[in-house]
Amino acid sequence: MIELPVNRQKTRPRPGVMPFVLSRLPGRVIGRLTGGIISLSALLLGSSVAFSLPAADTEDASSREEFLDTYCSRCHNDERLSGNWSLSMVNPSDIAKGRDLEAWEKIFRMTSERGMPPPKRPQPSEAELAEFTGWLQSSLDGYSASYPNPGRATLRRLNRAEYSNAVRDLLALDFEFSGQLPADDSGYGFDNIADLLSVSSTLMDRYFSVAGKVSRLAVGLGPVQPVLTVFQVPKGGSILNQGVPSYNERMSPDLPLGSRGGGAFRFYAPHDGDYEISGYLNANTNNEVDRLEENLVKMRVKLTAGAHSIGMSFRKQLVLDESVQTLRNDTDILPLPTQPPRSMTLDFVVDGRPVGSAEVPSYHMSERFAQVNFLRDVLQINVEGPFSVTGAGDTPSRRKIFICQPTTIRTEPACASKILYKLARHAYRRPVTSQDIGPLLDVYGAVREDADFETAIATVIQAILVSPGFLFLAEQDPPDSLPGSRHRINDLEFAARMSLFLWSSLPDEELLTLAEKNKLRRPKVLKRQLKRMLLDSKSDALTHNFAGQWLYLRNLEFHQPDVMAFPDFDVRLRQSMRRESELFFSGIVRRDASVLEFIDANYSFLNERLATHYGLDDIQGTEFRRVEFQPDANRGGLLGHASLLTVTSYGNHTSVVKRGQWILDHLLAAPPPPAPPDVPALVSRQGGKALNAREQMALHREDPACASCHVKMDPLGLSLEKYDAIGAYRLVDAGRPIDVASILPDGTRFEGLDGLQQVLLEQKDQFTRALTEQLLTYALGRGLKAYDRPTVRAIARSTAEDDYRIQGMFLGILTSEPFNFRRTMEE
Amino acid sequence: MKHPLSLSRRTVLRGLGTAMALPLMEAMVPSAAFGATFDSVSKPSRLSVFYMPNGMRMDNFTPARSGRDYPLSPTLEPLAAMKDKFSVITGLSHNNANALGDPGGAHGRSCAAFLTGAHAKPTEGSDLYCGISMDQVIANQLGKETLFPSLELGLEPSSLLGSCDIGFSCTYTNTISWKSPTQALPVMVNPRDVFERLFGDSAGLDENSRQLQMRRKTSILDFVRQDAIRMARQLGANDQRKMDEYLQSVREVERRIQKLANQETNLDTGNLILPSGIPDTFEDHLQLMVDLQVLAMQTDTTRVCTFMLGRELSNRAYTEIGVPDSHHSLSHHGGNAEKIEKLHKINRYHLKQFAYLLERMDATRDGEGTLLDNTLVFAGASLGEPNKHDCMDLPAIVAGGGLLGNRHIALPQHTPMSNLMLSMIQAMGVESEQFGDSTGTVPELSS
Repeated sequence: MIELPVNRQKTRPRPGVMPFVLSRLPGRVIGRLTGGIISLSALLLGSSVAFSLPAADTEDASSREEFLDTYCSRCHNDERLSGNWSLSMVNPSDIAKGRDLEAWEKIFRMTSERGMPPPKRPQPSEAELAEFTGWLQSSLDGYSASYPNPGRATLRRLNRAEYSNAVRDLLALDFEFSGQLPADDSGYGFDNIADLLSVSSTLMDRYFSVAGKVSRLAVGLGPVQPVLTVFQVPKGGSILNQGVPSYNERMSPDLPLGSRGGGAFRFYAPHDGDYEISGYLNANTNNEVDRLEENLVKMRVKLTAGAHSIGMSFRKQLVLDESVQTLRNDTDILPLPTQPPRSMTLDFVVDGRPVGSAEVPSYHMSERFAQVNFLRDVLQINVEGPFSVTGAGDTPSRRKIFICQPTTIRTEPACASKILYKLARHAYRRPVTSQDIGPLLDVYGAVREDADFETAIATVIQAILVSPGFLFLAEQDPPDSLPGSRHRINDLEFAARMSLFLWSSLPDEELLTLAEKNKLRRPKVLKRQLKRMLLDSKSDALTHNFAGQWLYLRNLEFHQPDVMAFPDFDVRLRQSMRRESELFFSGIVRRDASVLEFIDANYSFLNERLATHYGLDDIQGTEFRRVEFQPDANRGGLLGHASLLTVTSYGNHTSVVKRGQWILDHLLAAPPPPAPPDVPALVSRQGGKALNAREQMALHREDPACASCHVKMDPLGLSLEKYDAIGAYRLVDAGRPIDVASILPDGTRFEGLDGLQQVLLEQKDQFTRALTEQLLTYALGRGLKAYDRPTVRAIARSTAEDDYRIQGMFLGILTSEPFNFRRTMEE
Repeated sequence: MKHPLSLSRRTVLRGLGTAMALPLMEAMVPSAAFGATFDSVSKPSRLSVFYMPNGMRMDNFTPARSGRDYPLSPTLEPLAAMKDKFSVITGLSHNNANALGDPGGAHGRSCAAFLTGAHAKPTEGSDLYCGISMDQVIANQLGKETLFPSLELGLEPSSLLGSCDIGFSCTYTNTISWKSPTQALPVMVNPRDVFERLFGDSAGLDENSRQLQMRRKTSILDFVRQDAIRMARQLGANDQRKMDEYLQSVREVERRIQKLANQETNLDTGNLILPSGIPDTFEDHLQLMVDLQVLAMQTDTTRVCTFMLGRELSNRAYTEIGVPDSHHSLSHHGGNAEKIEKLHKINRYHLKQFAYLLERMDATRDGEGTLLDNTLVFAGASLGEPNKHDCMDLPAIVAGGGLLGNRHIALPQHTPMSNLMLSMIQAMGVESEQFGDSTGTVPELSS
């Protein structure tokens, strides 16, 4: 039961309210001014709403009718058709027949979450509301218990992230290639929705191309001619054409402690051999694409085949080498070095350790010098190779694939068979038979005729990676099942779903074996596996994919704050913001903490750059660590995260509406309907005075067409106005102090982030349900329907009963009806 | 102006490692290399569509006067040099992009209606429904002759969350090409991927290796086809549809291999350097994609190409022209003069890019004339005035194809855009009496 304090009104409106109400009624009713509400609504009833009494409990039925009469039918009748809907379209007795569930679920949500009746209308008493919603919920839940409906997702294709993780796990190949596959369309907030994952010939071409590359790389047949791989050190571009910034700190965990600047990236060496690492350094020109030959530094290294981190960096200095003087030239300030360049050491770093170094001048002045003299830094790192290949190498992928090596030509087919059996089982997520291996061996045989053993194996791997058995999650309807009936999916199908959910990848051998033996869904086993999978680093996928979309973290990469308004927004801040939210999310999941920490945690994960951004100056270093907030830190919970505050803003100003809408949609599952198109622009000045956000929003309330939705959204967003468009704390906007006192439609007052946290905590069950909905959508790969709502309620309830711990929510999903069953297709 | 081999601005993409230098001196790769001959005297033989997102401010787009030698409107000024090669058409509308009783989602509907004239079904799920698009009608006929029936290109990946139209799956705003009412065609945004797709990873291989590679691919295709047929038998009807999509795509790949095998000569891609990725700046990215399109047409790899300058509901900021605000946000200007001014800038900037496309095609020899002479080019947006999601007064520019230029054809208000689509279909030599919600054709087009 929702515990929001309500502005109590009498259940019957005072006479003063009547004329307003009456003026909206059809003319023939207005004459009845003297009637009480009941008779008025009876009149309306007579003309529009027809109820039939349910079979039993007529007394309860009549109190339900009275409830609907009193509080709903005034607007939701055939004449007024408020919200395009009339009570005459539904009948309480329908629930028992499973009809109009969508409508009744909506009615339940609206009434129990106090969305309806609207604030200015007569409100039911607590008791009345409890009785009505109690009846409604138990009817809906009761129907669902008697006639469970698991729904059905269409044949589900692996999306881009899942495909690339599956390849990584199948071939033990640490090679990033997901960027070579097109992005998938999303719906219901996620890009793993089965219905939307289609196959086009464009995609098929990409699969062939990518599968070819990774299969050859994994087998050790990558390019033998030198190939150039280029890595741009992320810089964020030049600020105001002043050259590309560089920072006096360690830029990657793959670079040595005590290093500064430069960058590192993952490189996959196709063979053992020589490789040339080279880097372009910055000159302080004002053109960031300049890669000048005189700034190129090279070194040859020996690399073993496989994945490495390759980087270049300088050494951190207490006193910087350059000393600059500043000259004034009209309005430009030009810092120019006062001394000739000194010599600096540039390290070449492979797998975290320096393997060589070069001496470079501490600056390079170009004739087109920029206005700011940045520290010497690396702009781009190239790796070229292999030169003089010495062997295919001993890589994790070769070891995984070649579980045998044929000694003679005659032993090849047997070895091939063995290899393919193991790979196919893993790739197809089920035991395989000669029916599966036969066709694969045919491909092997055809290729083996004019190529060697390893090439043939690589080609079969390519075939597996584009085959439907790998790409699609095949779930069969039992042959004798009736259309529209439900059936339990088998353990193997369950394992595939579970590993897509928690790892966005294939089930591993342990999971597969348990599923084969039909043990996976035994309660103790399932619990143990859940814990194991969440603690495995593969569950980072949950953070990247679920949280990345739920919290809009993926948008951070594309979000462009205005450089004029925020000249300090740099690539380090962008990356740190994201990392904070990722660590926060994965921490709660792995510690099995309460989901309410998403709302009001008093800690987060910071590094120096982010801490500086938050105004906390006792955090040093580039590493992230957990930080407990002091009461005056003005942070805490998701809504204090710079990431969320940034992606819900525009490039140069905050958006009360975007933030309010995000909260309603993603934390409370109560999204407002879309705005009408012809919205006049926000008035930003009035009478010569600049308006701040609060004043602009006030204009929303003046127009009733806008007010109905905005009274819900605006207060939430307004309470966050002290966080600017990149999430920094501020006290002043448009020249005046910011006031973050807000009022909800029901009259509740609250202020700032703390107040907002309280408001959300008071709706903690609604939040728990909202999070369950998000997670369940992601887990099922389909949008939720009315028949899923009882499941959502049940999971949220059990989570709440277990102190709101998040793994309880996971377990609830894993043991739920839709996750374990599937509806057979109707004819 | 002939474009030099080393497009010096673009080879500066050595910042990205390698450049896409288009080496195609006309002598090196004449389209006759593929044995293709066109009856380029009478009909345009290619189609190119250029799509601009988030509508067009019609007050700045519509020229003051109609007829020949009309004065260029402010938005059209960037096209001044090519005035003889294109016509502006106004008075067009897509009635099916209106709500017609459906809730929200103007952008989803308008983008879906742009080349289809169909009323899109509002859904986020499996029951996507629109209509076949004009380019696919043409591709169904022209595409039989080429390796790729059509090419769908874009600049924006579809990954921004919360930025698709409410109630409409992102599919509706990510693409303008529909192969069938239920099958949308995704766009490719990475030049490297486009290049690889067009010219295959057989670039640089000798004949023997190429044949070997094709044989292997064929074995794989046989295998996956059998696998799919076997799987399909055990699936429910709805799932079978998905498997059908898969099979269809496999057949496409097979068909292409067949064509390649039947070709006598191979395109010498030795001089083409693989682009290494997506260029940093918008303009570079766009122009590289245009260059790829021109390359594809020159080599007769495809004859139908659609290009989305941005996805519908694009939020891109154009800082390079002094507009740091997000495009979609500006398009709902609410009458604010400053926002309108910025929006005008964006519209002009987009048309400047269109000018590049026209100039490139005009500078490329094709048989007896230029590529532009032989290509029917259509540029437009799916909304007119974006502030009110107006789909009843739409901008349209038709260029090339040997059609008369330097005209502003002001059609009667609310002429169905589908009529123009139908005219274009017929101009491409595809027999058709009806398209989308057409009520006739636009005869002025070919007069």
